[in-house]
Amino acid sequence: MQAAIKVDSIHFAYGSQKAVNGISFEVAPGEVLGFLGPNGAGKSTTIKMLTGQLIPAQGQIHILGQAVRGHSSAVHQRMGVSFEEKNLYLQMSAVENLKFYANLFGIKKPDIDGLLEQVDLLKRKKDRVSSFSKGMRQRLMIARALINDPEVLFLDEPTDGLDPVSAQAIRNIIRARSASGTAVLLTTHDMTEADKLSDRVAFINEGVLHAVDTPENLKLKHGQRSALVRVRQNGGIEEIRVALDSGDTGEALKQAVQGREVLTVHTEEASLEDIFIKMTGRGL
Amino acid sequence: MNLKRVWHIFIKDLAVGPRSPLLVFMVVMPLVMTLALNLVFGNLSSSEPKLALYVEAESAVQAELEKLPGLRLTIVSSADELRTKVEAHDFDAGLVIPTGFDADLREGRRPLLQLYFSGESYAMDRVVLVVNTLDVLRSVEGRTPPVDVELLQLEEGDPIPLSVRFIPVLVLFAFVIAGLYTPASLLVEEKERKTLVAMLTTPANLSEVVMAKGFLGVVLAFALAAVTLLINQVVIVDVPALLVAMLVSAIFWSVLGVLVGLVARTSEMLFAIVKGTGTLLMGPVIFYIFPDWPQWIARFFPTFWAIDPLWQLVANDATLADIVLPLAITLALSVLMLPFIAGLGRRVLRQMA
Repeated sequence: MQAAIKVDSIHFAYGSQKAVNGISFEVAPGEVLGFLGPNGAGKSTTIKMLTGQLIPAQGQIHILGQAVRGHSSAVHQRMGVSFEEKNLYLQMSAVENLKFYANLFGIKKPDIDGLLEQVDLLKRKKDRVSSFSKGMRQRLMIARALINDPEVLFLDEPTDGLDPVSAQAIRNIIRARSASGTAVLLTTHDMTEADKLSDRVAFINEGVLHAVDTPENLKLKHGQRSALVRVRQNGGIEEIRVALDSGDTGEALKQAVQGREVLTVHTEEASLEDIFIKMTGRGL
Repeated sequence: MNLKRVWHIFIKDLAVGPRSPLLVFMVVMPLVMTLALNLVFGNLSSSEPKLALYVEAESAVQAELEKLPGLRLTIVSSADELRTKVEAHDFDAGLVIPTGFDADLREGRRPLLQLYFSGESYAMDRVVLVVNTLDVLRSVEGRTPPVDVELLQLEEGDPIPLSVRFIPVLVLFAFVIAGLYTPASLLVEEKERKTLVAMLTTPANLSEVVMAKGFLGVVLAFALAAVTLLINQVVIVDVPALLVAMLVSAIFWSVLGVLVGLVARTSEMLFAIVKGTGTLLMGPVIFYIFPDWPQWIARFFPTFWAIDPLWQLVANDATLADIVLPLAITLALSVLMLPFIAGLGRRVLRQMA
């Protein structure tokens, strides 16, 4: 199957400052790739190159099989972008915002009500965006990114600052789009978010890609699983951590519980954040 | 370039514009200025004093006064009304002709004639009214003036009143606000609010956005200039020439507006540019207000060529043939700005990224 997004050894520098240094990855149709990294890691620069805002100094980008170097109407016709910055027209209503973008895409009969219903803004469709809360604006941004029924979707921090209900609604939309075949590139520094949504995650730091794999594989390859056993001993409570990935796990567990009153046993798994720190030596 | 997208961006700006208090202010300002200047200079430069007349019985004075040019005569229905209206400065002066006045005059009985003046009337108007009244009375009395006075104008051509000299200022103001400032501020706003980036991640490209803003500038500048001329009741001999001149000027100002909008990164920077270059932009029209200044200096201002065709049409009854050269220069200046716009467009894309 042809990759929806194919990035091949791209480079970009702001003056002498290297922002992206030879990264390569692919995103298949219907796949959600979480693009993770701290501020200044090169996430935004990569997205800007992918969305045609920047031209890579070296390397190739292909979106839906078409080479991208700067703005390309044919490619942009098939992609949707939601920015971290809420760049909506505040003096226009939700409907007017979506209608304007539908016009730019040349869509004659956009299902604006349907989109607004998906993001739970139908009741406020005629209200000016200036009266919307941050969460409502974010949901409208998502609706705007979906107006052209895109085959490739770029989402920059899509649930940042949202209440749990709104965040869940947006996650559901992303999953639904992915299920219908849209390739989604999700940039975030929220590892839990990435873990919940992404089929695969890519770790980027200082312009270099450190890993691209499924969260499970990354945890298996780079994380340590353990069991936390809480026991009562000598009138007090003691916690014993037993590594599960070592060869003598069974023996170690046996020794931990033998002759003691076991209160609780919890298995623990390394988080993506732990793995990111382990791989890059840097927190998010 | 996709003209449909240009049209949609244009319509969006046209719809959003009236919701922006700043843009509304910008568009209304030239009209307010027009009305204010009309009020002030229209009255100051008016050469027609206003006279109210009440005639108790029939009098030849009324017919003689009606014949006089340069006087606005109004017949009122009572002496009381006349006094009230003059006192309220509805008229510069009021004249009451009592019963039997004409007969007394002709028989040499030196009847008393009272001319009421408003305290707010100009001294010049009072003199004009007294001299005219005396002239009329002499005529009714049946005598001829002792001398004939010949009026000789020293300057060549018809004198241009101050109210007309201000028309280029008003039209230029309309062009600067609607043609230059509107597209510039719309572009800067799109950059500041990052909506330009959002647009450029759709099939729309920067050329289409710039074209839409420029088109809006042309339409608004043309419309506002036309309204300004209409409010000023300007009479034009060659109307098609006026339309061509307005269109060419609107294009020039709009292209300049797009250029400024691409240069300015923020609203503050835009204000600074417009304020800083105000003299350069508005300079040429000062020479129309002060005709004694050496007029050739105005030609050094690039904006002179965009406003002079309108001045020639408004003040000198020029035709299209007379203004071909300045129109060609204006168009050439507009075309010269295009490569700079292309270069600045590339810079804007780099800055956005």
